[in-house]
Amino acid sequence: MKRIVLASLTLACLPLANAAAETRHFAISWFSQATYSNDHDCSQGVHPAVEEVYLRYAAKLGATPQQVAEWRRKIMNGDEVRDLDQLIMNRGRIDGKPVNPYTHPASVVDLSLPGLDGKEGFGFDLDGKGADQPGSFQDPETKERGVDHNLYRALGCTRAFRGSLASRPTYWAWAWGQLKDSQPAWLITLEGADLKKDGPVTVGIDRAYEYLRSNSDGSPRFDMAYRVDPDPRSRNQFKGELRDGVVTITEHGKLRLLQNPLVSPEFNLKDVHLRLELKADRSARGFMGGYTPWRPIYWGIAGVGFGGEQQVTGDVPGFYHLLKRYADADPDPVTGQNESISATYYIEAVPAFVKDAGAPTPQVTRR
Amino acid sequence: MSEAKMKKSRLIGAAVVVAVAAVTAVTLLPGSDDHKFSAGPSVTRRLTAEQYRNIVQDVFGGDIDLGGRFEPDMRVDGLLAVGASQVSITAAGMEQYDAMGRAVAAQAVDANHRDMLVPCKPASPVAADEKCAREFLSKVGRLLYRRPLTEEQLSAYLTAASEATRITGDFYQGLGLSLASMLSSPSFLFVEQIVEPDPEHKGGFRLDDYSVAAQLSFFLWNSAPDSMLLSAAAAGELQTRRGLERQVKRMMTSPRLEQGVRAFFVDQLRFDEFEVLAKDAALFPKFSAQAAADAREQTMKTVLDVVLTRNADYREIFTTRKTFLTPELGAIYQVPIFKEGPNGSPDEWQPYEFAADDPRGGILTQVAFTALHSPAGRGSPTLRGKAVREIALCQTVPPPPADVSFTEFENNTAHGASTARERLAAHATVPSCSGCHKIIDPIGFALENFDGAGEFRTTENGSPIDPTGEIDGISYRDAGGLGQAIYDNPAAVTCVVDRLSARALGRTPMKEERKWLRELRADFEKSGHRLPALMQEIALSDALYRVGPPKAAPANRLPPTEEIITAELERHHE
Repeated sequence: MKRIVLASLTLACLPLANAAAETRHFAISWFSQATYSNDHDCSQGVHPAVEEVYLRYAAKLGATPQQVAEWRRKIMNGDEVRDLDQLIMNRGRIDGKPVNPYTHPASVVDLSLPGLDGKEGFGFDLDGKGADQPGSFQDPETKERGVDHNLYRALGCTRAFRGSLASRPTYWAWAWGQLKDSQPAWLITLEGADLKKDGPVTVGIDRAYEYLRSNSDGSPRFDMAYRVDPDPRSRNQFKGELRDGVVTITEHGKLRLLQNPLVSPEFNLKDVHLRLELKADRSARGFMGGYTPWRPIYWGIAGVGFGGEQQVTGDVPGFYHLLKRYADADPDPVTGQNESISATYYIEAVPAFVKDAGAPTPQVTRR
Repeated sequence: MSEAKMKKSRLIGAAVVVAVAAVTAVTLLPGSDDHKFSAGPSVTRRLTAEQYRNIVQDVFGGDIDLGGRFEPDMRVDGLLAVGASQVSITAAGMEQYDAMGRAVAAQAVDANHRDMLVPCKPASPVAADEKCAREFLSKVGRLLYRRPLTEEQLSAYLTAASEATRITGDFYQGLGLSLASMLSSPSFLFVEQIVEPDPEHKGGFRLDDYSVAAQLSFFLWNSAPDSMLLSAAAAGELQTRRGLERQVKRMMTSPRLEQGVRAFFVDQLRFDEFEVLAKDAALFPKFSAQAAADAREQTMKTVLDVVLTRNADYREIFTTRKTFLTPELGAIYQVPIFKEGPNGSPDEWQPYEFAADDPRGGILTQVAFTALHSPAGRGSPTLRGKAVREIALCQTVPPPPADVSFTEFENNTAHGASTARERLAAHATVPSCSGCHKIIDPIGFALENFDGAGEFRTTENGSPIDPTGEIDGISYRDAGGLGQAIYDNPAAVTCVVDRLSARALGRTPMKEERKWLRELRADFEKSGHRLPALMQEIALSDALYRVGPPKAAPANRLPPTEEIITAELERHHE
């Protein structure tokens, strides 16, 4: 382990309790919704393939059973179905007229595809309602009950969002693969008196100027240097504690990070929870949870359009209805519609050197 | 261009090549046997790839794309610069040079460059203009051939340019085709030494004025003489002590000196081997192509900082903690090297000094050396130890026996051995292996804290690494101790003097030149091992410019060409 010793008189003059004697930095090298898919979590089955969903839409939009059967036959044969494609690409209806379903998802008929009804899911008891709260999960790692993670309930039975920590969900593998090379890296900074011992810590979560740097085999690179972007929209600090090598946030505030329009222009999380395990190889992994606005999640998915819907995500407007249905926080005062959804993200991070942009380079001593 | 026209232009080019080769072939005037001084033979060196690039850049500018591949060089007595006098050009290589020459020439006269490079405008762009062509070809030819073109040479090129212009209907294309043939001429591709009787040593020979200029410039700048040096040669200044000193002083203060010093260390450190360096990405994921390029440059910058920027003791290259790093390298060295430019901009080099207690110090501990002298999947005390002896001390280590088996060493845990030291201990029990291993492995053990890609480690296969080592009876605790031992080793001084001299001569110094080498070494030590001082003394040495008689050719030896053999056979049939 390395320590960064800031040879600063200013720091030396601060009261000891406020002086961070040890700092560790990380660059987030993997970020995705935390999923725990298994054979028993979708009692009504995993959502059908997108072609089958299209045929259901077609039926709802007035196609005859013969038409649907013919389209099914053609799809099975690998033949083109341009008339079906045209219908699906404009399956929204406003005043009876076809509209783009991705930009007008509310205009698309809700197929009422089911959400996940399994018992286990990663996350935190965000609302503090405890173990017996209906619809809550038990965390498979901590065994904590009363876990709120409705984003997993909403999307957990759709094919692109199924996966585990080891077997990445298709959507997130695709999205993170795009994001990590197109948005500046996200950084985690831990400060504490002695990060080898239990005690209070400060957790900083910021955005870098630089992209995450990868190795020649695509794996994230350890020990790269990143500068912190001073933009206040991506500066976050929380009080937390380190216990048995696991960092948690003890004062749950708001997190805001600039992201990438590919997924979402911003990542916002309210009532932030963190459980970050510091590993022996100097990397870290863990979970970050809270409530996040669900509409930006939809727009991030919707950006893929008709092509991406077929290739990656599956039924896009269906996500709109699922997210809206499972949203569980921040009700709109007029409509009563919840605008946020409980969510937990799985993160992996590699050790990094970090400094504020413009600050002098810290001296490093090897111990 | 039509096929017929191309064929014709090629024929013209080939004719010019032959004609020029005939005129500029090495001219060794007959000499008597009564000379009493010792001097080595003249040499003819093939341009190295870097020299070719430097000349093109010097003559035509840095934006000319060569777009070709060079013949492989050959290392002799530790240096490619010595091997350059023992290589030829294969038929396939000649095709490459021809293609490069055509590419360079086409760019030099294209619309983007002609206004800058061609010093005149033709009367008509579609017709031959001998006056303008003469002006351009004589100017460029002097720089490429390192001496003024003879009237016969120039006339041949003018005829070729004129004929090509007539065929193509384009003055610049004609000029370009003539220039292309110049670039594939032996007079350009080979640095020939033309000798003349030495008036100061009766019966002896010396390089002629222009050969002196080339000797100087390829040694100090790794490129062809500039116009000023050629003018000094034309005026006969280089044959006078004062004139030679004036030019050497000018060249030593030129920014191009760095080019020459770089070339020496690239050769001496065998950095040409970076072209084939690869690491197993699964084992050393940080070692990217960029990391390799940066590592090579890091060591070059470290060396140049010691020997040129700071003009410090040469031996400091083995101990200095001052270096230069990029963010890419910072990750491998596990130290913070932050970008300074905007995101996405190229990484900048930044000075960095390793702490006194850091295991890094000197070029032997840098990624370039440790990674270059390791196999793709692991480190190697043997290869590293051998490289230290051969590169830093100029010693020769024999190759392993032909029937040696590496299987036990390759097996990381053979006989319960976890570390390379343990595995090599078992390997060294084989009598035919132990002789060499005992003089090279203990050197390399000191570098075992650096894995096969040069990253620091304290364990191997879970076992702690013991970095103690020994060289020629001097023991040390770690890599820093090895660097200090090399610093203190007199062989390191002798090594750089010998190799630098060999580079300047283009050949290995002869037995008769030992006295000169001893003097160089003594003066080098007196200067505090300042490399520029050594280079200057070499550049001013008579030994560089005196030439002895050629060795007698073996009797009845036929030149190994098909044409001759065929002729012999025909005679036999008659």
